[in-house]
Amino acid sequence: MRTLTVLYDANCNLCRRVKAWLGAQTKYVDLDFVAAGSADAAARYPLLDHPATLKELTVVSDNGDYYRGAKAWLMCLWALREYRGWAIRFSAPELMPFARRFVVRVSSLRFRFGYHGS
Amino acid sequence: MNHIVYTYIFYLLVSVALTVWVAHTLHKNGRVFLVDVFHGNDALADSVNHLLVVGFYLINLGYVTLALKLGYEVASAQEAIEALSSKVGMVLVVLGAMHFFNLYVFSRIRRRSVLTYAPPPVLPDGCTMVQEPAGSAQAPYRQNMVRS
Repeated sequence: MRTLTVLYDANCNLCRRVKAWLGAQTKYVDLDFVAAGSADAAARYPLLDHPATLKELTVVSDNGDYYRGAKAWLMCLWALREYRGWAIRFSAPELMPFARRFVVRVSSLRFRFGYHGS
Repeated sequence: MNHIVYTYIFYLLVSVALTVWVAHTLHKNGRVFLVDVFHGNDALADSVNHLLVVGFYLINLGYVTLALKLGYEVASAQEAIEALSSKVGMVLVVLGAMHFFNLYVFSRIRRRSVLTYAPPPVLPDGCTMVQEPAGSAQAPYRQNMVRS
């Protein structure tokens, strides 16, 4: 795997901040950011369920494998040099339910930090 | 010559022999680790292994020579053996600590390299079609496929 395409929510301030942080880290795998639900995303992945990508984070690898929600977050961490160990630790079956709950909670509250442009 | 000189000579012989033995063990068994870490690059593994062993020798022989002086008189053979034993005991403890530190260094180097090649931690939720952008020959993935 060479590149992971991150379909981030361009309307949310928190997501944009996380995107900037991810972009600044040193990586094992390149991260490519495309706004979720945009024309660019639709052109790249014509068969993907795009309304769903606005509900939870979606990450697509260069061969088309896609990851949603907590799995997508773990894939982002896995791409980073400093956090790959953490991604592997959190992916353990005992911790995955906590990771999933945490991600769902953050996703549902993300607009508390403001819409982009507001 | 009195007892103290014999004590010093024995101390040096025993300490140097122990250092050589531990360094040899480290050199022989550490190599397997390093060859694995450097993905079969034998030349690099041997070089790093040699550098580690040189550092090990310098620190240990440095400690042995610095700790040579006894600082009190030895009158009998019994006192000589006691002094020798406490000195050699310290050398053994220092050697042991250095040895474990070296193992720690090896395992740290290895953990880094294991992470570099770790597969994705989770299975994908599915697979979707990827439409190459216009002028698809320039897409990085395809280009690499063709080249290799």
